[in-house]
Amino acid sequence: MLFFRSEERVREWCAVHGHPVRPLVSMDQLWTLAASWYATRLQAESHRPGPAEMRAIFAGLGLAGGFWEPRSDAFGSP
Amino acid sequence: MDLDDRVKLAIYGHFADTGCRPAPPEVAARAGVGVAEVLDAYPRLRARRLLVLEEDGSSVRMAPPFSGVPTQHAVVSGDTRYFANCAWDALGIPAALHRSGVVHSRCEESGEALRLEVGRGGPGPSPWLFHCLVPAALWWDDIVFT
Repeated sequence: MLFFRSEERVREWCAVHGHPVRPLVSMDQLWTLAASWYATRLQAESHRPGPAEMRAIFAGLGLAGGFWEPRSDAFGSP
Repeated sequence: MDLDDRVKLAIYGHFADTGCRPAPPEVAARAGVGVAEVLDAYPRLRARRLLVLEEDGSSVRMAPPFSGVPTQHAVVSGDTRYFANCAWDALGIPAALHRSGVVHSRCEESGEALRLEVGRGGPGPSPWLFHCLVPAALWWDDIVFT
């Protein structure tokens, strides 16, 4: 999970390293993701979002498609 | 509050106060429990995606968004410097602290420095982008790589 200066820089980096170009996320979208994950992390009742919550957060940001599907992100196993 | 939550809060509180990872005795003292209880709780917190340990089973590698080791993603808030596990977590540190901060990182392709001021309501307008190679379903298969 990395920062890039522009879409051009992402495409160049992926081409050089043979990686697929994944969905691009703006800083505003990233802030919403970060706040959704961590705003309560220092509180006793906090938890990492589960798959259903993840889907709702992603959908709220317009992050759709298989890349964002957390279905096999199983919980409960170390 | 149960043991696991006490241990979790002790770990996260130590990171928030110092920017550094706590050793098990420090977690124990802060939580008011024994070191053995702390070490017993660690695998359960790992299962809840709240903790990643080094191979020794007792050193904290990650308590997301905080990193227990230096990374390319630093966040300065107040007088404390923190390290984040990734770009997402770099914004996660001000979010978790409910304080403003400055993210210092870089463009992975060009090496250009990123200096991003993050207020309590998020960053100001910025053309920078976030990119993740690993699909969400696989993030925790190798969270250090992710």
